[in-house]
Amino acid sequence: MTTTDLEHATSYSPLPDSDHHRPPPSQWRRPITLLSGIFLFMLLFSSLIALVINQHGQQQIAGDGTPLSSNSAPAAKKVLEPISRGVSQGVSEKSNFQLSSAAAVVETYPWTNAMLSWQRTGFHFQPPKNWMNDPNGPLYHMGWYHLFYQYNPDAAVWGNITWGHAISTDLINWYHLPFAMVPDQWYDIKGVWTGSATILPDGQIVMMYTGDTNEEVQVQNLAYPANLSDPLLLDWVKYSGNPVLTPPPGIGSKDFRDPTTAWVGPNGKWRVALGTKVNKTGITLVYETTDFTSYELLDEVLHAVPGTGMWECVDFYPVSTTESNGLDTSVNGPGIKHVLKSSLDDNKHDYYALGTYDPISNKWTPDNPDLDVGIGLRVDYGKYYASKSFYDQNKQRRLLLGWTGETDSEAADILKGWASLQTIPREVVFDKKTGKNILQWPIKEVEKLRSKSTVYKKVLLEPGSLVPLDIGAATQLDIIATFDIDSTVLEAALEADVGYNCTTSGGSSSRGAFGPFGLVVLADESRTEQTPVYFYIAKGTDGVASTYFCADQSKSSTASDVVKLIYGSTVPVLDGENFSMRLLVDHSIVESFGQGGRTVITSRVYPTKAIYSAAKVFLFNNATGITVTANVNAWNMDSANIK
Amino acid sequence: MAMKLWSPFTIVFLVLIFQESLLFSAMADRKFIESVCRSTPSTNLCLKTVLADPKSKDADLTGLALIIVYAVKDKGNKIIHQIKTLEKHGRPELRPVLKYCERVYNTAVTVDVKLAVDALTLGNVKFGENGMADVVVESRSCEDTFDQYALKSPMTEINKGMEDIANVARAIIRMLL
Repeated sequence: MTTTDLEHATSYSPLPDSDHHRPPPSQWRRPITLLSGIFLFMLLFSSLIALVINQHGQQQIAGDGTPLSSNSAPAAKKVLEPISRGVSQGVSEKSNFQLSSAAAVVETYPWTNAMLSWQRTGFHFQPPKNWMNDPNGPLYHMGWYHLFYQYNPDAAVWGNITWGHAISTDLINWYHLPFAMVPDQWYDIKGVWTGSATILPDGQIVMMYTGDTNEEVQVQNLAYPANLSDPLLLDWVKYSGNPVLTPPPGIGSKDFRDPTTAWVGPNGKWRVALGTKVNKTGITLVYETTDFTSYELLDEVLHAVPGTGMWECVDFYPVSTTESNGLDTSVNGPGIKHVLKSSLDDNKHDYYALGTYDPISNKWTPDNPDLDVGIGLRVDYGKYYASKSFYDQNKQRRLLLGWTGETDSEAADILKGWASLQTIPREVVFDKKTGKNILQWPIKEVEKLRSKSTVYKKVLLEPGSLVPLDIGAATQLDIIATFDIDSTVLEAALEADVGYNCTTSGGSSSRGAFGPFGLVVLADESRTEQTPVYFYIAKGTDGVASTYFCADQSKSSTASDVVKLIYGSTVPVLDGENFSMRLLVDHSIVESFGQGGRTVITSRVYPTKAIYSAAKVFLFNNATGITVTANVNAWNMDSANIK
Repeated sequence: MAMKLWSPFTIVFLVLIFQESLLFSAMADRKFIESVCRSTPSTNLCLKTVLADPKSKDADLTGLALIIVYAVKDKGNKIIHQIKTLEKHGRPELRPVLKYCERVYNTAVTVDVKLAVDALTLGNVKFGENGMADVVVESRSCEDTFDQYALKSPMTEINKGMEDIANVARAIIRMLL
């Protein structure tokens, strides 16, 4: 209806009554008809479109549901990249197996009781049965170290999460205690998840932990010991006003967990951090509190790194750049750097970076943004997650605990009735020599388990050597090995060896001019099964040599349902240093420390043959261009008392 | 003028608008499902499985993941049934391996599926990914065990089918991380 029509209409001065309720004259009828015609057309048109789309869709799935090969192959390759589980490399294992006798085949596969029970460790912390994951709230109180941990009381798989509790005077021998907390409140009924302890100056202990509520919302709760003068801290009380924190605006209700130990801010208030994400950017929120019951979210995040996804189990702590002792979490000042660490949900690895913390702005800045949290250094290059540190005020150390899951099949875990270990606690210090990384080293207390010592001095390893070491029972070992090479040979080498990568370069059987060389553990006599841990030196096009430190599980077992990846990374080796590694071998776990703990790799291995007295240790040099001189100090390890 | 608001044409207009918005919203849901399935290794299998479930109509990403996880359970149960039939009527030398396969498929159907459902509903998604990844490990180990006993596997197609649907579940779960 245009204004001209209206004007046109009024000039007619219509007759009263008769025309008032009648449909408008023809010039009105035309626009309405036109409009309804358009609408009808639109309806028909969109119905037609919907019909076409439907038909098209149906044609695509009219077949047997199998994908078009061109579509699926590249995508399948991308998704099937093993993250935490994977299968063997196929051909070589199969052909080896067919060579062995039929009787051996029937006996060794599937898993026998002997094989499965061998997998339990001698000196690593694990509950008697069922599932464990993240370490929680580690602390030292009245002569006892306390470890809490995520635990499923009902099965060898994650679920019904409860806080397990164990105590120790030396972090090696443990006593299991009753559960510290169970899911019995609406705010943690779906899981009493990970948390951290803060010890206040007056000795009070504050535990903050994530609860999964009856509606599956992640909230933070407060708990404290029922009786602070109980050295065993048996009973815990949940604050009556829980939850103390709920997901803030803009944060998903399933993206809010794992509160850290608190530290004191410049205004005297406590600060607590929580990892989360916004789209694909991993971030760390910081809250301030004076009483741990009411909190204020600070406007600025502590730090954020795009593309890293959800940040779980954030850990934030100071290290001294000048002293060798650990620092309380609240310490700051000159001669101090801060470590920011995060467990990445996306790839199930722990990452960290060194940087500077400005308490006034509450901002942490990495020393090297190219190696920021989540895109740079990993705490451990193997099967290791949800690590958490604490300040041990007893011995003034910063100690690190970490969860090591299984890399066998779920069916095997159900059969054997348990899953997961904690690594041996590690002391963490700043690496003063490189200035760019932390050092992790097994706590000194583990050395009390050393029994018989076997020393090998100046073992000459020509290219292609394999030397068996006679050290008796080889399933519980502490081995320190150093390797010397003629550096002039390395310097004189003209050819570059580019693109080496522990994971993709073929493992210990892939020979280069200057590697691999190292130790072989959990190997049977014929090395049908073996786990080599080695160095590989590769000279770059710029003439600078890089050293890689790798742990090779590719032939660790003839079983087909275990992970057989090769883990590792570069390790800094400074001028004048020889190559050193320390291995803690304990049945189905091997913790490998390169160059004093600059690069650490935790491996899970499940041999079927190289078990009990059949397990052996070798030195090897598979390099083609250098002779390596090795010195080995190997100790058999007694089992710890964990009851 | 006020009377004209409820004229037949206006009513038709409103009805058409309503129908349009329903249509476009249904097309938007369908588009969402298609884009999710395109990001999995088996687009057609994903579409077929999701669309067969009426809950897919207004499911979010978690809902779609759960649909596939339950499809994994269904398929697993069917396979266990097939294994039992093979045990009864198949060649006797296959039986030890079939018993093994039955056990690992039971794990897939009871333990792995429950793990994935728990992880997805409780909000700790990575355990669900582990669960579906393990389904692939179990079906492959079933297949490999025939080989290791120097027997020809009667379950190759079946095992591959299980692998495919578990990988679809895993891919969708990864989108939630």
